[in-house]
Amino acid sequence: MKAGALELGHASKVTSSVPKSGVNRGMSILDLFIRIIAIIATLGSAIAMGTTNETLPFFTQSIRFRAKYNDLPTFTFFVVANAIVSAYFILSLGLSIFHIMRSRAQASRIALIFFDAAMLALLTAGASAAAAIVYLAHKGNTKANWFPICQQFDSFCHRTSGSLVGSFAGVILIILLVLLSSIALSRR
Amino acid sequence: MEKSESTKIEMGESSKLERKLGKAPLLGSPSHAISSAVVANKRAGNYKRGIAIFDLILRIAAVATAIGAAVGMGTAGETLPFFTQFFQFEAGYDDLPTFQFFVVAMAIVVAYLVLSIPFSIVCIARSHVVAPRLLLIIFDTAIVSLTTSAAGASAAIVYLAHNGNQDANWLAFCNQFGDFCQTTSGAVVAGFITVVILLILIVLSAIALKRH
Repeated sequence: MKAGALELGHASKVTSSVPKSGVNRGMSILDLFIRIIAIIATLGSAIAMGTTNETLPFFTQSIRFRAKYNDLPTFTFFVVANAIVSAYFILSLGLSIFHIMRSRAQASRIALIFFDAAMLALLTAGASAAAAIVYLAHKGNTKANWFPICQQFDSFCHRTSGSLVGSFAGVILIILLVLLSSIALSRR
Repeated sequence: MEKSESTKIEMGESSKLERKLGKAPLLGSPSHAISSAVVANKRAGNYKRGIAIFDLILRIAAVATAIGAAVGMGTAGETLPFFTQFFQFEAGYDDLPTFQFFVVAMAIVVAYLVLSIPFSIVCIARSHVVAPRLLLIIFDTAIVSLTTSAAGASAAIVYLAHNGNQDANWLAFCNQFGDFCQTTSGAVVAGFITVVILLILIVLSAIALKRH
């Protein structure tokens, strides 16, 4: 029986001064708060990229001097990815509130970690692909003969670069969310 | 204490039984509850050990794909068989900063995965520990983000190389550098396979963190 008691003691954590359920509830509230900020960040990025439209004040007969987000398929993917992630966050608010009320839920926390990780991959892929294109637009590439379009489309470039910030902030927030969920899971 | 009281009572009763049957005294109810909890814990330990073994196997597979991606991109290079007086038409991974970032990021991922194999082995040896699993899940999440960003950025460049862009007047150089394009595309695919394996690793660690 001593071996059994030892094994149980090995599995349970050292007691802290604050009760376990209190800290878990605090982490769930922080989780909800971070989720709300992440909704604002990703939605803002999607809107900022989606409403880009710059027309240069001169034109010739054959060439069009207009830049929109859907001229580059990578930016289209960025807008779609950010929209999907912000929709997912809005839907997962409900699950987050459920975790505040019932801090000992485990299966739903695992499901939340799984979906958060999947959304992390999607958001990071979209944000980094758009970052690669924005880098090209700023610097160009002499070897591939790609001209830096930012020299002509200044406001378009500013808008797209700015919308990347919100997306990368969303990436960091999702990493924090996965961290919080896994700590809350292990502390039961 | 409650426990000693109940065992005292049990002893009183079972000593009669002992005289009759010569058996050892029966166990009291509190220790019975502990024994069933121990059995449940052992079962949980068994499946956590299974998860940890699967985790190690997947980690080694991820090392293989990440090395494939890094080496594939690093050794991608092509020199066209014609030249003019001023240029030689060659393409290497260091012509594009995004591909340089891909090689460096994949190298970091390989180093991390190799260093995390001992932690995985610790999780197999001791199925009930929490700290190594928590550490693994936290760093796995950060590494997923790094890998996806490298693979996503390179995928954008490879897409451009295949299709070009009319509105930005960017020419698709895959038409000339076919071999280079193929090798880099393969490296990007290997990068994304690494991402998928890492996502599965995160979910496994989350399941193994469950407490019983």
